[in-house]
Amino acid sequence: MRFNLFHLMPYPYLPPDYEARFDSGSLTLPNGLFDPQRGANLYNRYLDELEYAEKLGFDSVAVNEHHQSAYGLMPSPNIVAAALARRTARIDLCILGNAIALRDHPLRVAEEVAMLDNITYGRIISGFVRGIGFESYAQSISPVRSMPRFREAHDLIIKAWTSREPFQWISDNYEFRYVNVWPRPVQQPHPPVWVPGTGSVETMKWVAEHRYNYLSVYAPTRVIKTWFDGFRSAAASCGYTPTPEQIGFSVPIYVAETDARAHEEGREHVEWLYHKGMRIRQEYYFPAGYLSTASLRGMLKSGAKPFSELTYEEILKLGYAVVGSPTTVREKLKEMEAFLGFGNLCAVLQIGDMPHHRTIKNMELFATEVMPAFERAGDAFTHRPRLAG
Amino acid sequence: MSISPTEKVVDVRGASVGVLEGGAGPTALVLHAAGGAGAWLPYHALLAQSFRVVAPDVPGFGRSPSAEGVEAIDDLAFLYLDLIEQLGLAEPIILGSSFGGWLAAEIAVLAPKLVSKLVLVSAIGLRIPGEPITDLFALSPAQKVQALFHDPAAAAGLFPAEIDIDTALGFYRDEMAFARYAWSPFCCNPKLQRRLHRICAPTLVLWAGEDRVVPTTHGRRYAELIPHARFEVVTDCGHAVMLERPKEAVRAIQRFVAS
Repeated sequence: MRFNLFHLMPYPYLPPDYEARFDSGSLTLPNGLFDPQRGANLYNRYLDELEYAEKLGFDSVAVNEHHQSAYGLMPSPNIVAAALARRTARIDLCILGNAIALRDHPLRVAEEVAMLDNITYGRIISGFVRGIGFESYAQSISPVRSMPRFREAHDLIIKAWTSREPFQWISDNYEFRYVNVWPRPVQQPHPPVWVPGTGSVETMKWVAEHRYNYLSVYAPTRVIKTWFDGFRSAAASCGYTPTPEQIGFSVPIYVAETDARAHEEGREHVEWLYHKGMRIRQEYYFPAGYLSTASLRGMLKSGAKPFSELTYEEILKLGYAVVGSPTTVREKLKEMEAFLGFGNLCAVLQIGDMPHHRTIKNMELFATEVMPAFERAGDAFTHRPRLAG
Repeated sequence: MSISPTEKVVDVRGASVGVLEGGAGPTALVLHAAGGAGAWLPYHALLAQSFRVVAPDVPGFGRSPSAEGVEAIDDLAFLYLDLIEQLGLAEPIILGSSFGGWLAAEIAVLAPKLVSKLVLVSAIGLRIPGEPITDLFALSPAQKVQALFHDPAAAAGLFPAEIDIDTALGFYRDEMAFARYAWSPFCCNPKLQRRLHRICAPTLVLWAGEDRVVPTTHGRRYAELIPHARFEVVTDCGHAVMLERPKEAVRAIQRFVAS
């Protein structure tokens, strides 16, 4: 198993009447609610937590990109990765990912990630995402164009990383007459690429064809099972069986000394994540064209509830979060591993408005009581040459 | 008297365009709004009493599948010029509401002499700083009804509160098509204003008295920049003029065409 600490950097200081006053934690939640003094402390606290993951023996830390949102404070994940680059020495830095479909200049991503890969001697994992629906509004990029832009930007970035000569790039959405990215990445031919999916068959197929890592996002375990099965069958159509690392399961986890204590301490934070952090209007989350009609039909038929309407019991029962004593969490994760078949766990251990001391305790208990129960992937697993740091 | 339309599919340089046609009289090319494509609505039937109504669905809307290479308003305007030629519509009246009004203005700018009369009903298409068009993409179905109708009760038959999956997907498909043409630049062609002087057809700019989607400033600007335009208002009416006050709107159009 590969253990990846996934941090979302939420802004926890929402007013008590937040739910009555605002229908969304993203896009339109006034930025006047962001207190810069508290915000500055928060960024530094969150960076401390990410740095601590290295001492605890995680394989990687992951950061992501979101815009105009109290759910996540990282409009530029590359800046967070840069802040971690020289404060860590061994751990992989996973950018999960750059929302390349939103960029008018995807080459900036190619440049920044290549710089980071140099600075870290090749410790960068480069995730690529389309961006959540509300970011189509925030960045004025038509949701209808998001998928073709994602594909084109990806192809351009990979070519920019692997080409040895200047070239021209002309596609439907981009025109660059001089592509010649300096620096080149340290990892050859390029940093590993991870891509999350939300059940779209086209995405499974695309990720499998490129032999990238496929990751789940918040969803019921039984739904994620169909995604992973779909990915495995897409890989089989390409003539291979995915490595365990190629399948990544992402889930918030809270471990405490006993089951009772875990629920007592963890519940409010798990509820904050789904009820406040993920509070969003459907029209922001799925703007017209963000989902294909086939995907939307699947979603409507599944009858899935909006996150903010899930009770704590449903969150646990459906597998949106794992909470319990070390024994319970170990057993639950083993059970999920057996059912889903993943070798890459993206554990969200700072959950919602969880304070620092509780986050640290959660990370420590997870690292000392849960991680050792799994066979570790180890360095060989990453199959990447490592330069001396 | 109710006139039932005929249906056909026209292949325009590879794009399949569904067309409804009915009525007799001078030819009126009727261009739908972001909602209401693919249906023969009461306003079509009213228009058909004095016009030969030809109502095509923009690729991606209603009966027309989306078409390769048709992804922006200028693609649509050129496609419709081809369609007009192919259908042999000689100097039609072109009438469009909201999104359709924008398309009508673009066609008239490209081929001014082809249009005998132009009717723009609460049209989008202009960018006026400080006078933004409401972001319909961001509204829930209930909020949309509030925004589109002065009297939401008028929407009862058109926007049912409870809908099945196929109806929901139909709405989504139309909205997806609308996003293709109007997400960014948002509901406008920033260059349209400085091209409106080209329009030579007598033009009626008909606006909703209580338009909560496109500010009246847009209507006045259209009327000011189009050389032979007059501006009229349908009172007690929301943005969806042709749906909320079809009789009053069609009467105003008949008066204008007769004048």
